[in-house]
Amino acid sequence: MPIVKVTCLDKYFGRLHVLKGLSLEVEQREVVCIIGRSGSGKSTLLRCINFLEEPSAGVIEVDGIKIQGGEKGQQRRHLIHDIRLKTGMVFQEFNLFPHMSVLGNVIEGPVTVKGMDHARAVELGEMNLDRVGMFFKKDEYPNRLSGGQKQRVAIARALTMEPRVMLFDEPTSALDPELIGEVLNVMKKLAQEGTTMLVVTHEMGFAREVADRVLVMADGELIEDAKPSDLFSSPKDPRTKALIDRYRTGEQ
Amino acid sequence: MNLFKKDAHAQKSQADLLYEAQQRKQLQFRIKVAMSWIGLLAFLLFLFSGLEIKSSMGKTTVSAWSFHMIVENGRDVRARTEKILFSWPYGLPNQGLDITTIVVDRAFINKNIDFIASGILQTIQISLYAILLATALALLAALGRLSTNPLIYSLSTFYVSLIRGTPLYLQIFFFFLALPQLGIILTGLWAGVLALGLNYGAYMSEIFRAGLSSVGKGQREAALALGMTPTQTMRRIVLPQALRFAIPPTGNEFIAMTKDSALVSATGFVHELMWRATKVGRAEFRNLEALIMAAIFYWIMTLVLTSMQSRLEASLSKGER
Repeated sequence: MPIVKVTCLDKYFGRLHVLKGLSLEVEQREVVCIIGRSGSGKSTLLRCINFLEEPSAGVIEVDGIKIQGGEKGQQRRHLIHDIRLKTGMVFQEFNLFPHMSVLGNVIEGPVTVKGMDHARAVELGEMNLDRVGMFFKKDEYPNRLSGGQKQRVAIARALTMEPRVMLFDEPTSALDPELIGEVLNVMKKLAQEGTTMLVVTHEMGFAREVADRVLVMADGELIEDAKPSDLFSSPKDPRTKALIDRYRTGEQ
Repeated sequence: MNLFKKDAHAQKSQADLLYEAQQRKQLQFRIKVAMSWIGLLAFLLFLFSGLEIKSSMGKTTVSAWSFHMIVENGRDVRARTEKILFSWPYGLPNQGLDITTIVVDRAFINKNIDFIASGILQTIQISLYAILLATALALLAALGRLSTNPLIYSLSTFYVSLIRGTPLYLQIFFFFLALPQLGIILTGLWAGVLALGLNYGAYMSEIFRAGLSSVGKGQREAALALGMTPTQTMRRIVLPQALRFAIPPTGNEFIAMTKDSALVSATGFVHELMWRATKVGRAEFRNLEALIMAAIFYWIMTLVLTSMQSRLEASLSKGER
């Protein structure tokens, strides 16, 4: 059974049709990268999965919790809350809480949302900070960290909620080039540990190396869904080809 | 190798020299400012010292004027008396020179200083109550202003508009004199606190609104993505950051309020600084002395509060952001 299942997802911003009847599935322990040009709807898709954007129509299903898009109600709010507990989100702009220490950021979710015992949350938080290599900065405040360090802390914060799937929304796009590597390495490690991941990215190298599947988006539609080896060697759609060619020339 | 070392040394010392020169310039400026302040204070003290300097052909005197009780026509009267401190048998030619300064009644000051000073406590008490009320109202008004509910939004903007559109002086009298007509009788203190709190709350709502808007959308989204409810997001993530942003300007408002609390004396029933000063000043027709005393107390209060506030501000800016 897939962890994430999106069926016929539609999203309008006013009269702008951003997502056009899009469907996808992510299996457990799978790493799926979504690539595509800016404005193709990649981020919106990701944000619809944990309802930071309200889908206009379609069905979102995460770990057996199913929600129909475009409806309202008290019951539904609980379901959205449940889906958010099962998804961990990493943002392009990190969005660490500046008034809390690194450890404070990481344990905020478990303590406030899950009502976890403080000592246990600290134990769990420190373990996850260690996983991303940020344990040594646990008492520092976010403004004292580099961009790459901030993003690693943000990953640890999402992991500490013990989600079933991690959603990455262009996690390296706001970083200086020399800081991208440390974040990608952490994500690679998570992938090797069997974390289910859905990653919106412009890092083709990462997609090719780490992803089990790569989805290509253009104009609010999925135009390709293939293994990275197939996709990068023989793209079917001309738009995919253009995307990959541009990446190749950029790399040289 | 040697050459390189020397070169590096020279470069470093040049930067240091520039820095030092800048520091020295700044220090000199600050010393000059401090000296000017002392000079201005000394001038002010001289202005109210009661000294008189006279110099004319063949005589120069410095004398001190003061008030003394003398018997005149069988009655005790307070009159100015002169006491020559210094005299010199030479002087300036022609018209000469005659500098007189303001004579203050020292006996009056000594007699009433304790009475006026004890108003400080009341002034601080009013301001403290009022700032607490104002902070709570400002926060509510700011939240209302950011609400998407039209009724709540209207309540907030209506309150701010009404209060900002009428004088504080009128509001104080309204609570003290107009409300009893409706059967609501407030003591002078509570009428003052209510009026000041409502008034400052309206003005400060803008500060809190800016504070709330300063917390980025990403912060809310991160909290929601963790599974926080909107209430938890507000309480744990948005408010702490907004309040940190709002504390320094709130300090400024508090300082302004300690001075505006003088208006509450108009009710005649709150014995704070201004009331005490006008009471004793009017009774003996010594308004000059009484108001100067009150002014000095207000000034000292604001100096102390300002230094406390700048220290608070420094400690707040140290940590985050």
